[in-house]
Amino acid sequence: MLRVENVTHFFKNGSESTPVLHDINFTVKPGEMVALLGSSGSGKSTLLNLMAGLMKPMEGDIYIADHNIVKMSENKLSEFRRKHIGFIFQAYELITSLTVRENVELPLVFQSVSPSIRKQKSLSLLDKVGILDKADLFPSQLSGGQQQRVSIARSLITEPSVIFADEPTGNLDSKTEEEIIGILLQLNKTMNTTFIIVTHETDVAEQMQRIFALRDGYLVSEKGSLVGMESKGGISVED
Amino acid sequence: MRISDISRLAWDQVKRRKVVTGLCMAGISIGCAAIIVALSIGESAKSYSEKELNQSFKMDEITVTANGGIPSQGGKGGGGASEVSDKLDPGKLTRQKLDIIQGLQHVNAAAPFQDLGYIQMCTMDNKVADVQIIGTDLRLLTKYEKTFLQGGASDLPRMAVLSYGATLGLIDNETRQKIYEGFGNDPYNVQLREQYDSLSVLPSQMYQQQFQLQQFQDYSNQASKIQQSAPLRVIGILNKASGADDLMESYNKIIYVSLETAQQLVEELNITNGTVGQEGVYNSAIVKVDSIDNIVQVEKLIQKLTLTTSTNLYQLEQLADKFKMVKKVALGVGVFILIIASISIIVAMTMSTHQRRRQIGIMKVLGANMGQIRNMFITEAALLGMMGGMLGVLISYLIVFGINKLIGTASGPVPGDGNIINIPIMTIPIGIAFAVMTGVFSGIYPAISASRTNALTAIKRD
Repeated sequence: MLRVENVTHFFKNGSESTPVLHDINFTVKPGEMVALLGSSGSGKSTLLNLMAGLMKPMEGDIYIADHNIVKMSENKLSEFRRKHIGFIFQAYELITSLTVRENVELPLVFQSVSPSIRKQKSLSLLDKVGILDKADLFPSQLSGGQQQRVSIARSLITEPSVIFADEPTGNLDSKTEEEIIGILLQLNKTMNTTFIIVTHETDVAEQMQRIFALRDGYLVSEKGSLVGMESKGGISVED
Repeated sequence: MRISDISRLAWDQVKRRKVVTGLCMAGISIGCAAIIVALSIGESAKSYSEKELNQSFKMDEITVTANGGIPSQGGKGGGGASEVSDKLDPGKLTRQKLDIIQGLQHVNAAAPFQDLGYIQMCTMDNKVADVQIIGTDLRLLTKYEKTFLQGGASDLPRMAVLSYGATLGLIDNETRQKIYEGFGNDPYNVQLREQYDSLSVLPSQMYQQQFQLQQFQDYSNQASKIQQSAPLRVIGILNKASGADDLMESYNKIIYVSLETAQQLVEELNITNGTVGQEGVYNSAIVKVDSIDNIVQVEKLIQKLTLTTSTNLYQLEQLADKFKMVKKVALGVGVFILIIASISIIVAMTMSTHQRRRQIGIMKVLGANMGQIRNMFITEAALLGMMGGMLGVLISYLIVFGINKLIGTASGPVPGDGNIINIPIMTIPIGIAFAVMTGVFSGIYPAISASRTNALTAIKRD
């Protein structure tokens, strides 16, 4: 489903370059729920952006559904993202001028799907995330947890191969955090959707099937110990 | 992406961003109004002048005369020969040729207008006026946009149809002589001029009256006898030309008689004027064409019959040349204002793009490609243009209303609908199209700039 091969990335600042990720390799199977765990500056968000095609790595390849996204042009990537990738943001990123239902439908708008099918799908997903009654409200009329549910519904509407969630509970209180994680687990179970969740909270990560821990740009084991770094300059974490 | 979705998303932004929308619309509406008002003034001035021109010169008529050439037996206008011989004088205007012309496509009427020249009309109560006599087919007069105020046409001999002007200014010879003498002594006598003007428009009841025609008196030979025709009866009086007043009409004194009567008058009054007097040969004919657009085509065909033609189209061409310049200047002003408006849209929309970078970033992350983002912004700009255009139409109506009001106050009541300047319907879509185009062109740079927004940079939070 998702294959990250020898990905290395660094940020350039003039003549200086700051390494961010070192020779990352891993594979995620379809339907898996994986956490990318790491503290601030560990490189987890950069890795997520690379996997989502929002950035291109300096070295290495990333395959989603057997397509190497590193080799794609920007327009091709947009099309690919539209069909295969879903996003859940920490700050929800809903469009305030659109209603809840219109926000959920937005990815389908870019696919030229007919309004009747869009409506049917969006209402069904809003029902699944438990906010069907809020369909005609605007995001500003919802609580943080409700907005994140809208964001989840939106990420699912295109039935993507993989959903990337960047700190999905980062802006929520612990009770709402529990609810949101519960919803994600439930959706993973019922819809068999692959989730890659970036988090710095171990209690969130522990609820996932697998954890890839990052530290200073290196992929480490689930318990955080460096494996084989000395010999390879990086490690692979596989089943 | 569906057009309805692009339009809806663009409309949402137009509604939401009221200040940007207001600024852009204001600029565009002023430019659009300037174009509409300028075009309307140009068109109204042109149509006013055309109307004036049409009253003086019939644009859809061709005057046909004999082709001069070298006449077979001297004489004038190709009609000097006493015998009708097409071989010897191919340029003659004959009945046969008129029949051919009548059969041409786009010809509504082709009638001889045999000009017998100017002669004096004398009523039974001894009032006189100088009139032009034209021999024609009286039944065809209505085909030349002549309508009857009284009576109608008839085939009977010695019947006449008078132009409205021919019923005005009939005064007795004595008074007439006195006025002329007065003018001879004092050409600037205002009182005399006023008296003359009022007598010139003095109407006489001529319908069903009899009158005679007579040659002008030869004042150098007082003993000479004035030749008079047998009496003629007025069977119809024509209406005034539209827009003409009595004074103008008084200069247009025409008596129409049948060709047969014209022939009799030629003999009675011993008229010698070109082909006058020759059976079946005319010195002039008028061809009525169904549309101004077909004048040139018909004229060329008539010329193939070795006839001379003249039209008044050159008047229109001269007028069109004059108004071309007026229109160019007007359009230039409008386009200049639209360019200024366009700059304001570029600035406002670029600012708007910058403020919406995050939203653009989200859309790109959700799968919108560069083309879709670009189209959304261009549609938004086109919507702003269209709304500005519609506001411009409204403003132009207010401006034109104001101008008409001003003209009305300054120059008194205006005939017709009371408006000197009218907005031609066609200028409205032209104005709106200019406004939409301005919106679209101005939206291109902000749209490209928006579509190139880096999604990741845009959604990153500080």
